[in-house]
Order: sequence, then C-alpha cells, then structure tokens
Amino acid sequence: MKWPRLFLLAVVVALGAWAWIVLHPSPERRIRRQLEGVAHAASFGPNQGSLAKLAGAASAADFFATNVEVQIDVPGYQGHRLAGREEIQQAALASRASVRSLTVTFPDITVIVNADQESAVADLTLQARVAGEQEMIVQEMKVTLRKINGQWLIIKVETVRTLQ
Amino acid sequence: MTETQSRPGQARRFGSRLRILAIGRNPRTTLIRASVLAVVCVVVFKLVLLPVRVEGISMTPTYSDHSFHFVNRLPYLWHEPRRGDVVGIRLTPPDGWAAPHVMYFKRIIGLPGEAISFAGGRVLVNGRILDEPYEKGPCDWIAEPVTLGLDEYFVVGDNRSMPKEQHTFGKAERSRIVGKALL
Repeated sequence: MKWPRLFLLAVVVALGAWAWIVLHPSPERRIRRQLEGVAHAASFGPNQGSLAKLAGAASAADFFATNVEVQIDVPGYQGHRLAGREEIQQAALASRASVRSLTVTFPDITVIVNADQESAVADLTLQARVAGEQEMIVQEMKVTLRKINGQWLIIKVETVRTLQ
Repeated sequence: MTETQSRPGQARRFGSRLRILAIGRNPRTTLIRASVLAVVCVVVFKLVLLPVRVEGISMTPTYSDHSFHFVNRLPYLWHEPRRGDVVGIRLTPPDGWAAPHVMYFKRIIGLPGEAISFAGGRVLVNGRILDEPYEKGPCDWIAEPVTLGLDEYFVVGDNRSMPKEQHTFGKAERSRIVGKALL
C-alpha cells in the first residue's frame, strides 16, 4: 500500500473514531454537557420580558429531578434550602425578578460516575457575576446526579466549604 | 529610463525583505521554530506558570483588585509550602496535573500541626503573636484556636480591615495548594 493511501486510511479511521465519540458520548461527557446547560439556563441578560423570564426559569428547572434537594450554606449569608423542582423554578423566577442580569459558569468540573453507571457526583466551581455587583461570586459545589429515563438529572446540590 | 528600471527592482527587494521578515530565510525552519515556541508556550502557561487575574479586595494592599500575576507550580515540587507564601488554592478536588481555572489567592500563616487563632486583630500561632509586616490596615478579628491536621495549612488574605464574615479564610488541604504566587 502506498503512503497516500495509508494516510487516507488513517484520516478515515480518525474521522470514524471522532464520529463515534460525538454520537455515543460517555456518561461523563453527557453530564458535563448537562451541567453546561444548567449554567446557560441559569444565566440571563437584562431587559427580559415576562414570558422569557418564565420560559428561562422553566428550562432551568428541567435539569433537576422532581424530588431534588438544594442546600446552600455560604459563610456570611443566610442558608437556603430548596426541595423539589417547583421550588427551583420559583427561585429561578425570583432571581430573574430581583437582579438585572446574571452570568453563571462552571469553569472547573470533576465528574465521578459510580460503578452502576446510573449515578454520579460532580464537584464544580460556580462562578457567578451579578449585574451591579463589584465582586464575583465563587463557590465550590457538589452536585449529585441520577440517570432517570435515560437522562442525567440533578437530585442534590450542596455548597462545599473549600477553606474550613 | 533608469528610474523606470529601478522601480521594479526596489519593489522586488522590498517584497523579498518583507517575506524574510514574515517567514524567515528558510520557511521550513521558521515553521519548526514557531511550532516549538507554540508548544513551549502552551506547556508553560497551561501547566507550570498559570496566569491569574485577582478579583476582589481580600489581598490588598499586597495584590490589588484586577491585577495580573502568575502562580508557579514548580516550587512545591522541591519543598513544602512555607509560612508567608502567597499561594493559589483550587476550589475543586485535584484532577491530575490539570490546572484549575479559578483559584483562591491567599497567604499561608499556619503550618501543619499548629494552632491558629485571632485575638485583638493579631494572628497567634500556638499562642504566640505572628509578626506580619505585610499586614497594614487595622484589624479587630477574634477567632478561637483552630488546630491544623498533618496535611493542612491555614490561609488568609492580607486585607484584615474588611469584616471577618466577608473574608474567605481557613484550613486548606495540601493537595489543594496549586502553587506559589510569582510577582
């Protein structure tokens, strides 16, 4: 076989492998994509209409299981507990009503998929910028996910104190 | 006639110089050099010397808000972190050699096994006042002694004029210390 044919074969094999990875993402990859979706849904820009606010809050809640638990304990602030998707949606709506804009990102994500391939834990850094606030919010979070009807949904969210 | 002949010559020379300036005398060598430089830059600035931009006022006056610095990961390969070092601390658990995108930027004031407390705005290490020349502003913090584990360091920002409740500080595991501040 001549070199150009070998090269062509290598390119075809590489493209095939890439297509396989894209079409059949690993659980870790799917969870990362899901978390990026959460960050995107939690973010919103200024001058959103009422319908857009409602739709945004609903889409943010779609990433959570119906019986989700959220525990937020940040030093210097009052702790928050949310239970259920409904409360998540209400909280998302309330945040859209109280601040002009919010940008949420998860710059560092570590995912550990359990042996059963049905549950996983993600440690991540939450970075949030609120319009009008000088300081950026940075917080370590622990997110527990479970595969429900083929979709990875968040069942628990906890804040973690990095410095104790 | 002479003038019309020299113009194309000048243009050719200019074009040739421009080509040499852009891609060198030997394009192949230039390409190899550029590739090596790109790889070195990626390795250095992604893995060894991490560029950081300070956000917040907890390290003022030593490091001001929005200032730009580097975190060097090499020093702690040779020795353990020392008191007084300003370090980058990762928020998520270590993930191999991958560098975090977000870090706390704090000063080490307590070493493994020591008891750290705040009294009358001064830091006490095992009950003795710690000399802190970098600490400039007034401080009224009071905190009960915290005993550090064998792989724990006590970190705090230099700005103790701000309320204690708004300042992130405390024990950090050794594995979370990414590197030492450079510059």
